[in-house]
Amino acid sequence: MENQLRNAIRKLLEEKTVDVAIGYGRVGVGGAVGAIFVTNPNDVDRLVWNSECRQNLAVHLTRPEIKALGKAAIVVKGCDARAIVVLANEEQIDRSNLVVVGVVCEGVEKATANGENAGVLYEKCLSCLEHAAKNVDILIGDESKAAALDEKNAPNAKNVGNQEKLAKLRAMSTDERFNYWRDQFSRCVRCYACRQSCPLCYCNRCVADKNRPTRIDTSASLKGNFAWNILRAFHLAGRCVGCGACATACPAGIELDLLNLTLANAAEDQFGYVAGKELGAAPLIGSYAPTDKEDFIR
Amino acid sequence: MSQIVTLEQLKQTLGAKLKSGARVVAPVLDGELASFKEIADVEQASFEPRVCMQNSIKEFFFPKHETLFTFARKGNDVELTDAPDFDVEQIVVGARPCDAAALPILDPLFAWDYQDRFYQQRRAKSTVVTFACTKSDAHCFCSAVGGAPDNTSGSDALLFDLGDGSFEVRTLTDKGKALFDGKTSESTKSGAACPAPVVDFDVKGIAGWIKDNFSSPVWETISLRCVGCGACAFVCPTCHCFDIVDEGSYHKGRRVKNWDSCQEAMFTLHASGHNPRGTQGKRQRQRMSHKFVTYPEKFNACLCTGCGSCSRACPASFGVRPCLEALNQEKNK
Repeated sequence: MENQLRNAIRKLLEEKTVDVAIGYGRVGVGGAVGAIFVTNPNDVDRLVWNSECRQNLAVHLTRPEIKALGKAAIVVKGCDARAIVVLANEEQIDRSNLVVVGVVCEGVEKATANGENAGVLYEKCLSCLEHAAKNVDILIGDESKAAALDEKNAPNAKNVGNQEKLAKLRAMSTDERFNYWRDQFSRCVRCYACRQSCPLCYCNRCVADKNRPTRIDTSASLKGNFAWNILRAFHLAGRCVGCGACATACPAGIELDLLNLTLANAAEDQFGYVAGKELGAAPLIGSYAPTDKEDFIR
Repeated sequence: MSQIVTLEQLKQTLGAKLKSGARVVAPVLDGELASFKEIADVEQASFEPRVCMQNSIKEFFFPKHETLFTFARKGNDVELTDAPDFDVEQIVVGARPCDAAALPILDPLFAWDYQDRFYQQRRAKSTVVTFACTKSDAHCFCSAVGGAPDNTSGSDALLFDLGDGSFEVRTLTDKGKALFDGKTSESTKSGAACPAPVVDFDVKGIAGWIKDNFSSPVWETISLRCVGCGACAFVCPTCHCFDIVDEGSYHKGRRVKNWDSCQEAMFTLHASGHNPRGTQGKRQRQRMSHKFVTYPEKFNACLCTGCGSCSRACPASFGVRPCLEALNQEKNK
């Protein structure tokens, strides 16, 4: 599969269909996987594909340094591909000026504190129904294998992994749940790694950075941390695709993906809306239908 | 002869300190996550040998968020109230040598043009009990910046895990001696740290390259994968940049000091909209220059202890070690 990927990217670069390919390579300590930016067809052998390809590379598509490299091809997993759909639907990228190279992903493994493979899949992968990335231009890998994995996950997709963890949280009393998040947020250092790793946190000036006037406390106090984390979750309501990049990036190990999943569930339950599913779909917050429920207005 | 203390005795010593009203900071395990936290009971602490911690001990000397003073409007006047002094004894136990080593590096910074009483009071009131390393991982590179798995710099006492539920205690300062006075027993056992991590680059040489290659295009290419998240700076035991902001309302509020990071675009954004460090490459160059060139020139100490926390925390598999290795490659071209 790695060879198939390299050949596809080589062809794109050789034929000058794209100027740069954003993919995964062994760049970190001990060969840890991170983003690489290949511009020369002779360098495609640096590209890798394996269960350590954790990052959502779509975060790079809106960065000025990367845009300056020219027309891009990007390697994406199923979850990452949904982020590209949202970026296109929100008109942040020109989808026609991008080649999306999807891979068949059998799940990515969690890392230990020092970046080694922990040998278990991320919770998001346990409920994944997009082992073959959708809405892509080129698909690398065995589609029948992906379909079999989708089928295996389908019966339990709503009650395993993060959904299971969230159900446990929702079963708590309000006080217990508040204490849970208070403990989580007390660790927040306000580094904004969550925001910076998120492909959909593309605002030029984040509300957390606004200081004339200050909208939310920039302090890593409990008040400031609650304000920031809740605000970010709300800003991603109906937009978050559940790739988990925020939680993976958080140096304080805060379960941000659960926060976002709560709102993603609400979007689906209340409006039948799944972010990133359909290219061309109107954004949930930016559209309405006469059939929308109104029982949230009290 | 060496001095040893059993885990039970260590816990009793800390327990007595807690009882006497001291603040005790120790590694606490929460699921798979190990972090330094203030503890209320010694049983909360976890003293297993550990390479990775979610935070460094920095925040107990230089908190992530600290009130400097409060203000309140009283008629036409404004009443200012200084933040209280830090006057409680603090014991930080379980530090790694690369955590503790950061403190003497930071001391001159907080006692330079401005005497930072907040940091200085915490330093004066604190005793740092460090555990010599029993293992290292691929991120560790203390040996490249003058450190070692049994480095004593910044510690008041250095403990060696003997693997049988006891530790050899080497007291290094009066504070360390006072903490363990009468608590240890003599033994013929002697502890040793793990071997020093192997590094194949010369930091001094790379520092010279950094100084001479301010305009190198390499800064931009190696920084392409950096998403500018700042996690590296926030987990770093030596990064110390902060922002000062006012919080509250027109009527009352406080001035606070909050951690900040040069990896974020906002850090240098001017009111005009111009940003002198407008790209991630320029921000990475700033971080590396500060650590390996400007800080050593000013304070005669490298602003990096080789702990590897940055590369462990980096979501993009970057950090100081990968950056040094990339620069080393460039230097040797």
